[in-house]
Amino acid sequence: MGRQPRFLHSMERPLALLAKVCTCISGFCLILLVVTFGWLVFGRYILNSTPTWVEQLALLLIVLITFLSSAVGIKEKTHLSVEILPYLLKKRSRSVLYIFIYLILGGFGLIMMVQSYHLTVFNWSTIIPLLDIPEGYRTLPMVISGGLVSLFSLGNILQEICSLLTKDHRVNSPNKNSSGKNTQSEETTNNTSEQSSLSEENS
Amino acid sequence: MGLAILLGLFALCIAIGVPVAYAIGVAAVATFAYEGLPLLIAFQRISSGISVFSLLAIPFFIFAGELMLHGGIAARLVHLASSSVGWMRGGLGQVNVFSSMLFGGISGSAVADVSALGSLLIPVMKEKGYEPEYAVNVTVTSSIAGIMIPPSHNMILYVVAAGGGMSITKLFIAGIVPGVLMCLGLAIAARWIAVKKNYPTEPFAGWIVVLSTAIAALPGLFTAVIIVGGALSGVFTVTESGAIGAIYAIVITALAYRSLTLEAFWLAVRRSVRTTGMVMILVACASAFGYMLAFYRVPEQLTSLLYYFSDNPIIILLTLNVILLILGMIMDMAALILICTPIFLPVATSLGMDPIQFGVMLMMNLGLGLCTPPVGACLFVGCSIGEVPIEKAVKSIWPFYLAILTALVLITFVPAISMTLPNLIG
Repeated sequence: MGRQPRFLHSMERPLALLAKVCTCISGFCLILLVVTFGWLVFGRYILNSTPTWVEQLALLLIVLITFLSSAVGIKEKTHLSVEILPYLLKKRSRSVLYIFIYLILGGFGLIMMVQSYHLTVFNWSTIIPLLDIPEGYRTLPMVISGGLVSLFSLGNILQEICSLLTKDHRVNSPNKNSSGKNTQSEETTNNTSEQSSLSEENS
Repeated sequence: MGLAILLGLFALCIAIGVPVAYAIGVAAVATFAYEGLPLLIAFQRISSGISVFSLLAIPFFIFAGELMLHGGIAARLVHLASSSVGWMRGGLGQVNVFSSMLFGGISGSAVADVSALGSLLIPVMKEKGYEPEYAVNVTVTSSIAGIMIPPSHNMILYVVAAGGGMSITKLFIAGIVPGVLMCLGLAIAARWIAVKKNYPTEPFAGWIVVLSTAIAALPGLFTAVIIVGGALSGVFTVTESGAIGAIYAIVITALAYRSLTLEAFWLAVRRSVRTTGMVMILVACASAFGYMLAFYRVPEQLTSLLYYFSDNPIIILLTLNVILLILGMIMDMAALILICTPIFLPVATSLGMDPIQFGVMLMMNLGLGLCTPPVGACLFVGCSIGEVPIEKAVKSIWPFYLAILTALVLITFVPAISMTLPNLIG
C-alpha cells in the first residue's frame, strides 16, 4: 500500500515538469505573437512595408498555444466542466467516475494523436504560403497535444487509483473543483489572493 | 439516430463532468464515426476551426486584460468611481457598478471583473456596514458589463460562430448602449436596496479629487480607446488593435504606473495562455460539432419546429431567451455561444432580427448565466471573495436579476437600443 504513493510521486514530477515546459513554450509563443503584431503595425506605418508573413506565422503560433495549453489544462484540471453529478456522489464513487472521465479523455487524446498524425503526413507535401514550410506544421501541435492529453489523463487515472487503494479520497476533479463550481471560478479565486496582494501593493 | 448520438453523447458527457470542450469533441468525433465519415475530416475541422485571423484578437484581449488586472489599473478605476459617485445613497454599491463599467470596458471579461473589483470593493463594503451578500450581488451582476462593453472576446467568438460575415467593430459598438442601460438598471436596484436598508453614503471628496483620480485612471482607460478607436477608425484591424492594446498595457503598467513587476508579467502571461487554451480548444472542437449540426440540418429543423408551435415573433423570441437562460444556468458562456449561435441565429434572422442585435441579446442573456446557480463562474468567484454561501447570496439577488432581465427584454424587443450606434457608423 505504501508503495503506490511513492510510485505516484515519481510519476507526478516528470508530468508536472512536462506541463511546466508546455506552459513556458505557450507563454513564449504568446509574447512572440504580440511582438510580431507590433512589428506588423510598425512595418506598415513607419517602414511603409507590411511584413506579410506575420499573419501565417500568427496562425501557426495560435495553434501551438491552444493545443499545448489545453493539454496542460488536463493536468492542471483547469478546463470548464459541469460538476453537478460528481458533487452529488460519495467520495469513492466520485473517484471511480473521475477514472471513467479520464479514460474518455485519454481515449480522445489517443484518437486525436493518431488521426492528426495522418493529417500531418497528408499535409506535409503542401507548403504554407509566405512561410515556405510544410502545411503539416499546422496540425503537428495536435499530434503532440493528443499524446499529452493521453499522458496527463493516465497520470490523473493513476492518482485516482492510488487514492482509492490507499483510502485517501482526496478531491481530484477533472476541473480541480468538486463543489459544483466550474473551473474558471476556482482558477480566478486562487488568483484572487494573488490579485489582492498585488492590489494592496499598488494601492 | 446520428443526431441523437451527437446531442445525447454531448449531454451525457456534460452531465458526468467531462470538460466541456472535450465533451463537444468526443460527441462530434463519435458521430463522424457513426456516419462513416473519415475521422480525418473531424480533426481537419478541429484544426481549421482556430486557424481564423479574427480569432487572434482573443489572446490579445485576454492578455491586455490580465496585464491591467495585475498592473494596478483596477485600483485606480475604483478610486475614480469612488470620488465621482461614492456620495450617493449606498455609495459603494454605485461605485461598484460604475467601476465595472469602466473596468469591463478594458478587461472584456466578466470573471476578471469580479476577481479584480471584488477583491478591492467587497472587503471595503463589508467593513463599512454593507451586508456581505449585497456587496457580492452587486459585484457579481455588474460584472456582465465586461461582456457588453467593448472590447469583449466573447463577441469575437459570436462573430466567428455566426460565420464571420459581420463586422466585429459594429458589434462592439452595439454593446455600449445596452451595457450602459443594464448598469443603469443595476444602479437603480442597488440604490433601492441601499435606501431600504439605510446603507451609508460617502462624503463628497471634492472636484479636485475627482479630477486627480480621473487623471490617474486616464492612461489605463485609454487602452479601451486604442482597441475600439483603432478598429473603428480603420487604422488597425480588430486583431491588430488587440495586439497594440496589449503592448500599450505593458508600457503603461510597467513604465507609467510602475506597478507591473516581472513576476506579475509572467503571471499574466501564464494566466493568458491558460485562458486562451481553454477558450480556443472550445472553438476548435465546436467547429467539428457545428459541422455535424449543419450535416443534420439542425438550424432549419429548429426553425420549423418553433414556427410549428407559434408564428408570433414575440413568443418565439421569448422562447429563445428562456432556452438560453436555462442553458446559461448550467453551461459555460463560450461553449454556449459556439453551439447556440449556428442553431438560434437563423431563427432570429428569419424573424427580421439583425444578427448584431441578436449578438447583443445573446451576450446579455448568457452573461446572466454567469451569475446564476448551479453553475455560474462570476457568482462563485464573488461568493468566494465575499465569503458568503451561494444560497445566501442568491436569496437576495433578485432585484439585480430583475434589472438585467428588464434590460434583456428591452434589448430583445427594441432594436434601436443596440442598432442606433452601429447604424451611425454606417
